Amino acid sequence: MKAHEPQRPGLGGIRSRLISHWLHTWREYLTGYLMIAPSVLLIFVFGIFPVGFALFVSVHRWRLRRGDIIGLDNYTSIIGNLAYLLVFALAVGALVWAFFQFRRIYRSLADTPVWFWLLNIPGALLAAASLGFVRWTVVLLPNILDIANKIPGAERTRELFMQLLGEAFRVPEVVQARSVMFWLIGASLVAFSVGLYLWRTPVNLQSQGWLATAWAGVGIGGVLLKYVYAEMMTDFNEAVQAGVDPGIFPQLISISTGVILLFIGWKIWQRAKDQPTTFLFFLRLFGAMVFIVGGWIMVGELPVIVAAGDPDLWVGLRATLFYSLGTIPFQLSISLFLAILLFQNLRGSQFFRMIFFLPYVTPTVASAAIFRQLFSNRQQAPINAGLKILGLEHLQWLWEPKGVFQLMAGSLGVEAWPSWANGPSLALVVIMIYSIWVFVGYDTIIYLAGLGNIPREMSEAAEVDGASRMQVFRFITFPMLSPTTYFLTIISVIGTFKAFNHIWVMRLEAALGTADTISVVIFTEFFEKLRYGYASAMAFVLFAIILFLTFLNSKIQGSKVFYG
Amino acid sequence: MARRPGSAHRHQKPSFVILRTIFTYLILCVGVCIAIFPFFWMISTSLMSLGEAQGTRMIPSEIHLENYVDAWNEADFSVYMWNSTRITLLTLAGELTFSILAAYAFARIKFPGRDLIFTILLSTMMIPAMVTIIPNFLTVTWLGRIGPIGWINNWPALTIPFMGSVFSIFLLRQFFAQIPDELYDAVQMDGGGHLRFLWSIVLPLSKAPLMVIIVLSFIGTWNALAWPMLVTNSPAWRPIAVGLYSFIGEAGQRTNLMMAGAFIAVIPILVLYFFTQRQFTESIARSGLKG
Repeated sequence: MKAHEPQRPGLGGIRSRLISHWLHTWREYLTGYLMIAPSVLLIFVFGIFPVGFALFVSVHRWRLRRGDIIGLDNYTSIIGNLAYLLVFALAVGALVWAFFQFRRIYRSLADTPVWFWLLNIPGALLAAASLGFVRWTVVLLPNILDIANKIPGAERTRELFMQLLGEAFRVPEVVQARSVMFWLIGASLVAFSVGLYLWRTPVNLQSQGWLATAWAGVGIGGVLLKYVYAEMMTDFNEAVQAGVDPGIFPQLISISTGVILLFIGWKIWQRAKDQPTTFLFFLRLFGAMVFIVGGWIMVGELPVIVAAGDPDLWVGLRATLFYSLGTIPFQLSISLFLAILLFQNLRGSQFFRMIFFLPYVTPTVASAAIFRQLFSNRQQAPINAGLKILGLEHLQWLWEPKGVFQLMAGSLGVEAWPSWANGPSLALVVIMIYSIWVFVGYDTIIYLAGLGNIPREMSEAAEVDGASRMQVFRFITFPMLSPTTYFLTIISVIGTFKAFNHIWVMRLEAALGTADTISVVIFTEFFEKLRYGYASAMAFVLFAIILFLTFLNSKIQGSKVFYG
Repeated sequence: MARRPGSAHRHQKPSFVILRTIFTYLILCVGVCIAIFPFFWMISTSLMSLGEAQGTRMIPSEIHLENYVDAWNEADFSVYMWNSTRITLLTLAGELTFSILAAYAFARIKFPGRDLIFTILLSTMMIPAMVTIIPNFLTVTWLGRIGPIGWINNWPALTIPFMGSVFSIFLLRQFFAQIPDELYDAVQMDGGGHLRFLWSIVLPLSKAPLMVIIVLSFIGTWNALAWPMLVTNSPAWRPIAVGLYSFIGEAGQRTNLMMAGAFIAVIPILVLYFFTQRQFTESIARSGLKG
């Protein structure tokens, strides 16, 4: 918007522009839009629109065919009452965000002649218009989807499709939603232009845009709040009528208080080091501890709520956690070691590189099939035969649902092993071994590239000063490689959430789903059980987790990674 | 042996250096053995008779090449292979064309909303595939029902969704933005426009990032399993990964046939890898060099 504005004659007082120049600029814009059009269209249809569509699917009972709208029920069956809590938090978050936006804009307009209060009219109308557009698409979508069912295979003609499409747009509810949207768009355009006419400054334009997003935040927050309250009340009343303790509100209050206490404790903790005297410092720390412990106890309600959800999801998440803890550290340290060995320019290092990289380029299904045979439960299978040569018992490997620590304890004769300490199942451990085998080559290549980027002079200078090989690694090479390590860690964490192909090939009925990471759990829900709505809701829970991790990551990033 | 310039300063005993070199090679060789063993076992098992493949032998007593013929006939590997090739080529053609155009516009043409659109595109990289796979399946089914050509069991479902690639646009944009403006001014002097500049100057300079995209997209299409499994239910357009997956189920206990099938599926990519090995590894290394 900003780049475009000075070109408008009469707006910035630039009236003397030549028509030819004006035409040239517009042709340039048009070229740009045309060049990005195909990619943007494809990414929109298959990358952005599906997110909204998945949300739409996830609030339905949708088993192969679309059923009724059931609101948050899919989410409550997955994560229990936590679903209400999260939507509630989202609504409050939107409102708080909107509040800070308003305050910021109000302050930024203090020194300008623009009237903040008047500008809110176009802002609110713009936000209402965009929400009206969303409502129209949501009302229209089911009608559009139904067209496909109304076209019998044989009579597929363009005319029939166009006719059905026209009908879909003329359904009474759609028409009603559309006219509301049109009125809002018209009104907001008028208000927008009036606002621009009154104060012709770029600040005005920008503030109107920001105010529109702030009002959209208010709208979304309000709608969510109303909706989640209604859903919660229905649930509550049902529970009361059935004579069960609903427990929603105590849980809500307890956890919200807990989170707020934790937040306050954290803030106090952060400011503790600014205190002038040691006594005050410790007093602060003590205060923070009180808040944090209190908050922690309140949040302790969480596992109880979560236990009411779908165990498959938690099993999947636990498997994902084990999978990332069991692969990433090993994979990274082995590949760093190999990269340092290869970096010495030994004769034949090109050959070693090529061989180490081989597992990564091999098609996954093929290499996973090999591993499925290597780690078979047959006594004659290679790994079991190897164990026999060493004088050990053969194992069930991919067929084994029991945890590795449990198995170890069992072989040492410990009877009462606690179930929480079972660890990943042996089947999952085989999948981890496969994963390390595949990705060590990739990580080594990236580490070698990272090593190549470290200036030689640094380690040479250190060696001249008498630093040992170990010291050079500890104080120069390793810190200089931290961006590479960081990049590889991120890539690998993303990889564990995405992990699918090899697990799909190596998962066996006998392992009782202990090797299914989160992506596999979602895919089986969708592909085998045909619960589209439920699987979409699960995918959104995964999305929420990934967003949370991204947020944490952005908090940690700056402090720990050294970008030379 | 160690040709590191640094070690000259250290006046170590030559015997120590030799010992260290031997030790290094020893470790590397162990690594090679671990990396190679599954391949060795696959090839050797694929040449055994059924009885031997069930036993503990490592080397076949006699070579049974007919396993390959059996595997090839039992699962239409020729069809699957051809399908994967077709899918890869179609996807690549679309992906390269669209990404090059978009990356050029994002890097070198100024238009209102450019940075906003680019940020929105980048933020889609965070969306997990499992969120989009269900609605995309519904969309593709819908498009196939209403449109002139079917999408399920046909090339559009397998290729079109992958033609818009944020990663490729991002990678190319980074590269295109580094090309000096003077070159464009020179082309403009000659009366050429953006497309001519793109075709005659920018693309010849960008062989490296284009190679990265080709390699990664090739590995991606050759490995894809979940999506092709959803949108194909007959061998007509089924790619090699899905074909091999169903063959593993059919082969059951016949390990020798299964390994022969796996080897057939691996051969084309291995041949390609051995011939373009340097570009392969360099492309991968470059794709990771963002930090």
